[in-house]
Amino acid sequence: MGMTRKYWKGLEELRETPEFLNSKDQEFPTQMSVDEFLGDENLKETSTARRDFLKFLGFSVAAATVAACEAPVTKAIPYVNKPENVIPGMPTWYASTYYDGVSYASILVKTREGRPIYIKGNKDFGFTAGGTNAQIIASVLGLYDAARLQDPTIDGQAKTWSKLDEGVNAGLKSAKKVVLVSNTVISPSLGMAIGELAASLGAVENPAKFEHIQYDAVSYAGMRLANKDSFGVELIPDYDFSKAKTIVSVGADFLNSWLLPTQFATQYGTRRNPSGEWMSKHFQFESMMSVTGSNADYRGMIKPSEQAAVLSYLLKGFGVSTGVASNLSKEVKAIADEAIKSLKASKADSIVVSDSNNKGVQLLVNKLNNVLGAYSSTLNLNNPINLFKSEDAKMNKFVADVIAGKGPDAVVFLGVNPVYTLANGKKFGEALAKIKTTVSFASHADETASNCKYVAPDHHALEGWNDYNAKASEYAVAQPTIRPLFNTASALESILVWGGKATRAGKDSKVAYDYIRKTWETYGFPSQTKYADFHTYWSMAVHNSCVEMTPMAPLAPLTFKDSAYTNLPKASGLEVVLYQKAGIGIGMQANNPWLQELPDPMTKVTWDNYITMNPSEMETAGYATTYDQEHGLNLAKVKVGSAELTLPVYPLPGQAPGTVGIALGYGRGANGENIGKAAFQTKEYGGTATTEDGKPAPIGANAFQFVQNDNGTLSLNASGSISKVDGTYPIAATQIHHTVMGRYSIVRETTLDIFKKGDKEAFNPAHTLQKMDAEGNHVEAPMSEFDLWDAHPVENIGHRWGMTVDLSSCIGCGACLIACQSENNVPVVGKDEIRRGREMHWLRIDRYFASDEEVVPGTKKDEFNYTKAEKASINPRVVHMPMMCHHCNHAPCETVCPVAATTHSNEGLNQMAYNRCIGTRYCANNCPYKVRRFNWFNYPSYKKFTEVNPAQDDLGRMVLNPDVTVRTRGVMEKCSFCVQRIQAGKLDAKKEGRPVVDGDFVSACADACPTNAIIVGDWNDLKSMVRSSSEDTRAYQALEEVGVKPNVWYKVKVRNEKNDVLADVQVSEEHHEAGKHADKKNH
Amino acid sequence: MFRNFRNWCFSALTIVLASGSFTTYAQGDALFKSKCASCHQPHKNSTGPKLFQVRQKWTDGGAKEGSIYQWVNNWQTAAASDPYAQTVSTWSPAAMSAFPDLKKEDIDAILDWVDSQPDPAAAGAGDAGATGDAAAPTDAAGTTEETSNGWIWLILGVIFVTIILAVGGVRRQLKFAAADEAGEPLNEGMTYAEELKAWAWKYRLYVGLASLVVVISVVVTLFLGLYSIGVVENYQPSQPIAFPHAIHTGTNGIDCKYCHSSVTKSKTAGIPSVNVCMNCHKQINGRTPAQQEQIAKIYEAAGWNPEGAGSYTGKTKPIVWNKVHVLPDHVYFNHSQHVVVGGVDCKQCHGDMTKQVETQKVWPVEELNKIEGNIQLTKPTMTMGWCIECHAEKEISTGGIDTKNDGYYNEIHKRLLNNDKKLYEKYLEDGKVSVAELGGWECAKCHY
Repeated sequence: MGMTRKYWKGLEELRETPEFLNSKDQEFPTQMSVDEFLGDENLKETSTARRDFLKFLGFSVAAATVAACEAPVTKAIPYVNKPENVIPGMPTWYASTYYDGVSYASILVKTREGRPIYIKGNKDFGFTAGGTNAQIIASVLGLYDAARLQDPTIDGQAKTWSKLDEGVNAGLKSAKKVVLVSNTVISPSLGMAIGELAASLGAVENPAKFEHIQYDAVSYAGMRLANKDSFGVELIPDYDFSKAKTIVSVGADFLNSWLLPTQFATQYGTRRNPSGEWMSKHFQFESMMSVTGSNADYRGMIKPSEQAAVLSYLLKGFGVSTGVASNLSKEVKAIADEAIKSLKASKADSIVVSDSNNKGVQLLVNKLNNVLGAYSSTLNLNNPINLFKSEDAKMNKFVADVIAGKGPDAVVFLGVNPVYTLANGKKFGEALAKIKTTVSFASHADETASNCKYVAPDHHALEGWNDYNAKASEYAVAQPTIRPLFNTASALESILVWGGKATRAGKDSKVAYDYIRKTWETYGFPSQTKYADFHTYWSMAVHNSCVEMTPMAPLAPLTFKDSAYTNLPKASGLEVVLYQKAGIGIGMQANNPWLQELPDPMTKVTWDNYITMNPSEMETAGYATTYDQEHGLNLAKVKVGSAELTLPVYPLPGQAPGTVGIALGYGRGANGENIGKAAFQTKEYGGTATTEDGKPAPIGANAFQFVQNDNGTLSLNASGSISKVDGTYPIAATQIHHTVMGRYSIVRETTLDIFKKGDKEAFNPAHTLQKMDAEGNHVEAPMSEFDLWDAHPVENIGHRWGMTVDLSSCIGCGACLIACQSENNVPVVGKDEIRRGREMHWLRIDRYFASDEEVVPGTKKDEFNYTKAEKASINPRVVHMPMMCHHCNHAPCETVCPVAATTHSNEGLNQMAYNRCIGTRYCANNCPYKVRRFNWFNYPSYKKFTEVNPAQDDLGRMVLNPDVTVRTRGVMEKCSFCVQRIQAGKLDAKKEGRPVVDGDFVSACADACPTNAIIVGDWNDLKSMVRSSSEDTRAYQALEEVGVKPNVWYKVKVRNEKNDVLADVQVSEEHHEAGKHADKKNH
Repeated sequence: MFRNFRNWCFSALTIVLASGSFTTYAQGDALFKSKCASCHQPHKNSTGPKLFQVRQKWTDGGAKEGSIYQWVNNWQTAAASDPYAQTVSTWSPAAMSAFPDLKKEDIDAILDWVDSQPDPAAAGAGDAGATGDAAAPTDAAGTTEETSNGWIWLILGVIFVTIILAVGGVRRQLKFAAADEAGEPLNEGMTYAEELKAWAWKYRLYVGLASLVVVISVVVTLFLGLYSIGVVENYQPSQPIAFPHAIHTGTNGIDCKYCHSSVTKSKTAGIPSVNVCMNCHKQINGRTPAQQEQIAKIYEAAGWNPEGAGSYTGKTKPIVWNKVHVLPDHVYFNHSQHVVVGGVDCKQCHGDMTKQVETQKVWPVEELNKIEGNIQLTKPTMTMGWCIECHAEKEISTGGIDTKNDGYYNEIHKRLLNNDKKLYEKYLEDGKVSVAELGGWECAKCHY
């Protein structure tokens, strides 16, 4: 009998380790904390006699009573002059643009009483079309970061702006050579201002006086150089993934970190709906299991050094001989053959991308795209992407000069942190002391800024004006959404001031605004004809946050030119892949506790980086492949050249053998720089942990030291060695808890071919149970006939709020989780609490690995053994499944609450009245989805969370959503379906005297989803999207057999792959057989 | 009998006369306020000159007979014909409006009224109520909160206890002295406590009964006291400005929404920002020193310098009010939901503001119930019981049943009618669909 796939959440479950079996029965493991509590040495010293205890008790009761009687006086302070567009109690939205040197998106910022509290993608304007990522959404928290520099500093001492300007001006004017190192400048105004500065320093007469180096920590220089060879212009074309019927990615994590994921994920999402016109076919060849790879239809494991071979093999399939070796393993070859077949079918409607920063590899990519004809369809050379213009060669030379003491006498750092991101950053940082004038625009006294004499802190992205030209076709404006919190100044203003083009104007300075407006008046306004006067044009630009432009066509059409594929990457020994995590990226927001606590989409590990390795290899090498709250992972030392770092080894199925992966962005503040409390490890009961030499201990280790200089470009792939180190390291992962208890009716998956046949019973059979009919025969009956309770009157009357989650389009990026955290004031709990399984996220994304076990989904054979699935786990298929409160109409949590704190509303919501809750946790115990969270502590005040919980300082509290209660200790909480938004949406409809329609209520998760996998709405509205989506053949309810009648539907994951085993299994009749089998087991 | 009748006639006559003069007085008052008050004040120059005894002034200044009436009707004709009026017209560059419809009697009534106004500067702060206007707020309203009589009682209590102890001591000494005199043995060994014990034992029946009464009353008081926790009826915090709602919305009939403008849009009704106050108070700076003192606080907040033509200094200072209706953090209340959608009148919860002379307080439910048109409730104001009681009583739009053009409730009623008629009929048993029946009693309506 046939079927294939079984899902497990971690190797612990797969192998049924004793610890796992023990822990899976305990959703709230407590023994550990009790043991630790009793084992605390300090406790022995304190003694509290019984009588004293009674005295304390009595006093506390009396004090509490007295305190409760006294109503505190609440102040209300109205505006003196109320701004016209602010209504107290109502949000004001601003369209703006986010750019931090890596991520770019058109955003909408929600402000309440003048405070930005929430960011979402702008679906109406901008080419990112609503796409954002976790980092962009979480950046609002960075605004209220108390560790930000609050004044300009000279030698680390706070000074006035006039003092700083005096010093910097003198330094720059007297310098023989000034170097400005910035990230890629995509701001036209900033670019012009830099030009003004250069001119004022005499660069016009003597170009050697001023050098501007653009430097990105993660470089795409190889791509630009390859395109120069192929087309004569150093550019990066625009990619349109919504046109690509076949996508071949050789290592590019384009849904998560590669180039412009905010745009690509959105486009990709539009073509992952199997009911659509067509569904894209996605091939991924990669080493580390990336977010993109986990969504691929076919995934081949290759070493980074084999990228050229894969491309060469694909080209060979088109009869192009490259002279590059194309030796591949059998498995990869099979997938490559599929890819060739698919590419031949889709021809120009294909995209081939690679993350390699090696010019040769990118030339192969170009060749393949050209052979396919993709430049006429999916790739647009006439609308180039302006991001990532890293000048690696120039930067390498500059760094070498500085370290050798031959550097310029003045350096200005803008938006970069080379001391942290350079492989030899430490040396570079030390050498900076030799330079007379060093200036940084950093917002924190970070690794680079703390080595600079002058720091002129730039505004936070939400505080200042900016303009951007991320793609030739679009110019965008970023507008402030709050008056600057601190005594900071826009970098644009500082550069203009030093260039002698403006004077400082204090906190409410309009220098940057005026300059940008002028730029737009001079260049933007005349280039269009739609708007007759500039004021209207400018108002439109600010309102929409961007304007579209027709990109200037090149003078001569770009034609493809063949080049030689030289200097292809070679590797020996262990290959190390450096990658960017969804939350931390390159570490710019390392002090953002939301992002640190965001479980990695693949490993579900929080608060750490680690070495990822294939579990089969780990076993051979003798590393522990299981871990839990008490048992950590083995440590290992990875050596690349002379650089080395020691990290725990994490078993990641899908990691190519012979390779390890290490995430960038960790190990910030290694020298104790004040970059924010959350960037450092915390002790078990609060306080920052310190290293042996007394400095705050950074989280993880800095993998940037492994960055290689690959023929002049910076490469994230390196060769090295790994060796086991004594000791283990505790890991805080969110997915060794919350098991599915063997109920595999949670995830459903099929292939496009089976789906297209339209036999619902084959790929999405309804769950049936046996019952006795009138004659006493056993008959199969649908779940709807079995019920313990009377029907709840929510169906068909009033509203019924529902949600569908399309597992096909969900890419597992984690944007929804951060949006939920931001919207619902979800507390951050820190690593120690996560290890105890006490994370507070209302929404989690379960990641299930699959393997080709001979089992029908949802069944357990009597002789079933988890270990049999082991072998297939080397390169498993992956399903991401967002899991939140299902608002069951027959909710098991409601019936067990002794105080009726959780009740059902007549709109289908499972309500949680915090003030009634007495914390018995019966509800969580009874929840089949394990989505209820218990407030073990007073997170906004208990000392343990001072470092990690932003709600603990006055500034961080400003990010809280005033419409949602901050929960206190001892109460349960869970996803409320953003009930505050439901109420607001209904109120809008009521005030306008019309029925609720789609769009009145959008939950935070649905708001944030770049692929629109989550749909919410009024299920009772027959015209609503959620209704039609839930009635789709792919719709099913997780754990339907427990009969809780949830208001959340999932839609079967469809992979556009050929899977003969699955095709054998997913046949209607067999399913009925299997269904019976399952029922016997489960009930 | 006759004498009585005469007395009666006399007093009746007095009343008639008095009310007659009161009529002109009231007429003058009303006319002054409607026609003149925006520019003139009795005792102070503002946009126009002060009007106190202005007729005398004109006569003294040599104005022609009746010229002043002509001036009021149309100052330009008066200025053309009378040299005195000509000089008056140079008083300010701002031209006075013409009032051709004011008759001589009207003008006399106004000026009589003006002349009858005491000069507040001379009269002092004491007689704030003497203007015949609704009583102006006094400082008392601002300070009632802080002044408490508690300490007086405490001192009195201490004095009484001291007296009792002293008297008791004297009595004891006397008793000893008497016993000594009588040659009885001195019972000095007995302490106060023992004596009390002996006394209590002697009258144990009465002491027992009294103790019972005391215990029961303590328990009852405690019980009631616990019930009153969280009840904020009559809560009336002091305010930085003794703001009288009665003058604004009562006397002057300003609509609530003029100042609390976000009540139809937002969850908060909104305390007006100072610039809203200044819309009127730029002109109106108070007739009595008490009023002027309060209004000066607005000027200070707005950074307004009332000297001369007035100007903004730019130095603003927000007014820190004390919130009267305070909801706990875990309660979500939306004004616009109630006012716009529910059509609830402000007075249902906030009381009759036209009569609130002092600063605002939380009106107790008994007082709210007395207001015409209010839904009668029993639970204390601002408690959850009070909210849900109203939700049970209040009918929501009947949607499809009536002709109101309310698409939202039409749809809800339609769904009920089409899909669960039985339930709908149950709802309609009392002839209406209440808020509670459509979910107004559910936790997540207000708690999230």
